Amino acid sequence: MAVNFEEDIIKQRQEFHMTVFCQCFSPCGKYLVAANNFGKIAVFSLVSALSPDVIEDNRRPILSFEGSKGAIYTLLSTSKFLICGGEGEIRAWNWSDIYKKTPKVAWSLSNSSSVRFDEPETNCLLYNEKDNTLFSGCGDNNVYMWDLESGTCKGTLSGHTDYIHCLTSRNNGQEVISGSEDGSVRIWDSRRTSEAMHVVEPYKHEECCRPNQGKWIGCLAVDSSDDWLVCGGGPSLTSWHMRSLSPTITFPTPDVCHNHVMFYEDMVSGH
Amino acid sequence: MSSSTNPIVKKRRRTTRPGSEISITTSSKDVKKVKLMSHEPQEPAYSEEKEVDLRDPQKDQAMFATACGEVKTCMKNIYDMKMEGQQPGPSEVSEKRIQASLNFVTLKKLNRVAHIRCKKAKDVTHESKMKVDSFHLQLQNLLYEVMHLQKEIRKCLEFDSKDEDIDLVEVDDFYQDAPAEISKPEITQKDPHQLRLARLDWELEQRQRLAEKCKDAQNNKDIFLKEIRTKKEYLDSLQPKLTDVLQSTQPLQMLSMPYEETRTQHKTARHLPRPLYILYVQASAYHEACDKRLSVNIEGDLEAAIVEESTNHAIEIESDSDDETAERSKRRRRKTGDVLKEKRKRTLKKHPLKVTLTVKCSDGSVLCLTFSYLILLQIVTVSVKLTPASDSVVSTVTGGDLLSANSLLSCLFPEDYGNDTPNTANNYQLSKLGMDSFRAYISEVGHPYMWVQRLAGLEFLEGDEDQEVPRAKSSVSASHIEATTKALRNRVTARLALQKQLASLERHTIPVPSESQCLFPAKLDGKFTNWTSIPYEDYIILPYTREVQEAEMVNEMDMLFKATFERKSAKLNAAIVVPQDYPGSPSLFSVQISWRGEHNAQNDESIRLMESEVNVHFKEIMAHGSPDYLLTNQLQRLLMCFDVYLEAKSSLASLAAPVEFSKDKVMPRLARGPHRAKPYKYNPHHGFFSHR
Repeated sequence: MAVNFEEDIIKQRQEFHMTVFCQCFSPCGKYLVAANNFGKIAVFSLVSALSPDVIEDNRRPILSFEGSKGAIYTLLSTSKFLICGGEGEIRAWNWSDIYKKTPKVAWSLSNSSSVRFDEPETNCLLYNEKDNTLFSGCGDNNVYMWDLESGTCKGTLSGHTDYIHCLTSRNNGQEVISGSEDGSVRIWDSRRTSEAMHVVEPYKHEECCRPNQGKWIGCLAVDSSDDWLVCGGGPSLTSWHMRSLSPTITFPTPDVCHNHVMFYEDMVSGH
Repeated sequence: MSSSTNPIVKKRRRTTRPGSEISITTSSKDVKKVKLMSHEPQEPAYSEEKEVDLRDPQKDQAMFATACGEVKTCMKNIYDMKMEGQQPGPSEVSEKRIQASLNFVTLKKLNRVAHIRCKKAKDVTHESKMKVDSFHLQLQNLLYEVMHLQKEIRKCLEFDSKDEDIDLVEVDDFYQDAPAEISKPEITQKDPHQLRLARLDWELEQRQRLAEKCKDAQNNKDIFLKEIRTKKEYLDSLQPKLTDVLQSTQPLQMLSMPYEETRTQHKTARHLPRPLYILYVQASAYHEACDKRLSVNIEGDLEAAIVEESTNHAIEIESDSDDETAERSKRRRRKTGDVLKEKRKRTLKKHPLKVTLTVKCSDGSVLCLTFSYLILLQIVTVSVKLTPASDSVVSTVTGGDLLSANSLLSCLFPEDYGNDTPNTANNYQLSKLGMDSFRAYISEVGHPYMWVQRLAGLEFLEGDEDQEVPRAKSSVSASHIEATTKALRNRVTARLALQKQLASLERHTIPVPSESQCLFPAKLDGKFTNWTSIPYEDYIILPYTREVQEAEMVNEMDMLFKATFERKSAKLNAAIVVPQDYPGSPSLFSVQISWRGEHNAQNDESIRLMESEVNVHFKEIMAHGSPDYLLTNQLQRLLMCFDVYLEAKSSLASLAAPVEFSKDKVMPRLARGPHRAKPYKYNPHHGFFSHR
């Protein structure tokens, strides 16, 4: 009785302090997958949760399993796999297994190269379908390119001086844009890994910098025409013109640091 | 010739004239009737009866008519003759006269014949009548006999011989069981009467056999009864001898074996109500078997208990008649308040005997629990008294309530606050008498904790509206006693330790026991400046505790405190919830930092992380130190995180303002993850801070 009670207390506390870091949709669009800071992945059925006669139980996950021992910071969904990255290695599960409610790790990638006492976390993942490459932005200031066919690291994009917050791609995956804690947005050519093509530092610009919040870049998005880049975080949310790499519009959101931004049709939404 | 005899003929009725009738009958309607009298020479007498038989009545009647006519004509002739005027000769008249007279003879004869005929007819009828009568009589006799016989038959048929009443065995069984001499199957199968007789025979034989057996059994029984009687007498004679032996062992008991004491206690125990009895038995058993530091005693008034038992039945009857007495008293205009008060008092009345359990803890404190049984409400309550060891008593301002009898044992097991009676029926009983809920009477009667009920063997199920009061079971008690004593001891030690900690916290030092030193770095710059206890109303108005309230993780019964840390211009306020069953449930912190603005869990992710560091990962703290020091270790950890927060934030915001807090601590990485977590985790081996 006491053991159960202790577990109950721990569970209660955990629930109280749970943060959901990321979510994504299943390829069929019927399920929503979310991951939290304790490493648990929960699958929700959108159909039953959004139906008109929803009951409380329908809002609970239909399946939840432990994704990793530490927090999970990012989830990515390809047509075949659900990939998660966070504290620890990058893991993937087959969607077919998840549909059958028996998830097992299909494959995993880890940064065996770094032998530091502090294994870097993966903060964001980006998938390029065309050449089956997975980009991961890590806590050791690098962006790694993984070849999913062989499961090895094809290359590293290094140049940031602090850990990577977010990744996005442009030009059909040829270019990769990364935003980091050090305040810079770097645009890379995915074939050349020597150094970034361009570096943008929003915090150095008068219009958008917010010294109180810091200089870190939390989120990046590129619109469909590849002309505009939106980034936010410590500096306020600003849209940049890609060609000239100059800030154009600043979205005034005082006191709010953005963690996510995306283009939707012709609107920008972020929080 | 014949005519001379005619007038005398009528005197000779009895004579018969067989031959003459014929001749008369064949004579025609002549005026003259010649009566031929032919005497039968052989016949001695003249029988007119015979004559009558031969004559035809019709003819007689005609003869009568003619005779009368002749007389009439003769008369007429005579008259005519007389009238004619001529004097008839007297001989003609006398001839006519004689002729007329002769007709008279005929008439007389006819009359006679008629009479005889009648008489004969009468005789014949009379005879027949006689015959008929005799037949009738015979008929009557026969009928009477028939009836008589019928009655007899009926009687015979109705005769209920006793043998119908006897339940005989079934025919098949009979054929199986009975020996051949009796059952005689060849005969009996054909003749039902014989069959019945045979069955009756068999029945008789069986009954005789069984009667014999019965007599034998009866004899045996008598013998046994006699034996029992003798043995009983022997045992009775033993009793005084045993008491003598006991007396003589008294001096031995003085030495080391207090049998007498335990015996008297056991005797008293017999008068305990059942739940208390179970408690007593289990506790003594446990004391003997496992735990020498637990002792059990019975206190109270034995005679009152005996009186109580004998009036036990009367109580229920009384409670019904109480309503009547209440009404009667109303009529008598007595104050009904008195009667009601009486009833209320009786509802809360305790049984005169109580069981005391004394638990000695390892540090010398003694916890004394007195269990009483409320008779009408059928629950067991406990009143608590703690005598702490002399060196462990510390006076505190904030911890005043810790060791109070009211809250010392609150929440010994989860959700067991002991404020309400576990027996749902009590609510109805109390409301019927207009009494408040049980909570109001706790000061009088003690706390009805659930574990107390379980120790006494009463298992009340929750939320069961119309349950009957469960019968106290010793299995329930036995399974709980070990856990409960452990919990009691732990609770006492925990409370005493908490009291000590609170005392030192009030002095603004966080006592960190040596085994927990490794959890924290040696030097922390923040200063602990304030520690107060706050009431529940104040807690709920604090803005940064809103989430805790919404998650229902705090309630009125918990102990609430407020702590303040300061470092230069920054100030940290923490509201702390210490639940009643601390350290079973660890304390819960809500943090607010004022430094360059108000930061709390809602608007600053780092503070939320700080809270989770302290609230969620308490198990590490407990692993490195005893659970009793959980609160202080959590405080120390909070202080550490406060330092880290200030230093990290300072460095990160180095663009905006000069660094207020220099980075004293070793933090290889200031932020990590999308939420830019601060390195709150302290790594004791290498002395640096990292992320979780």
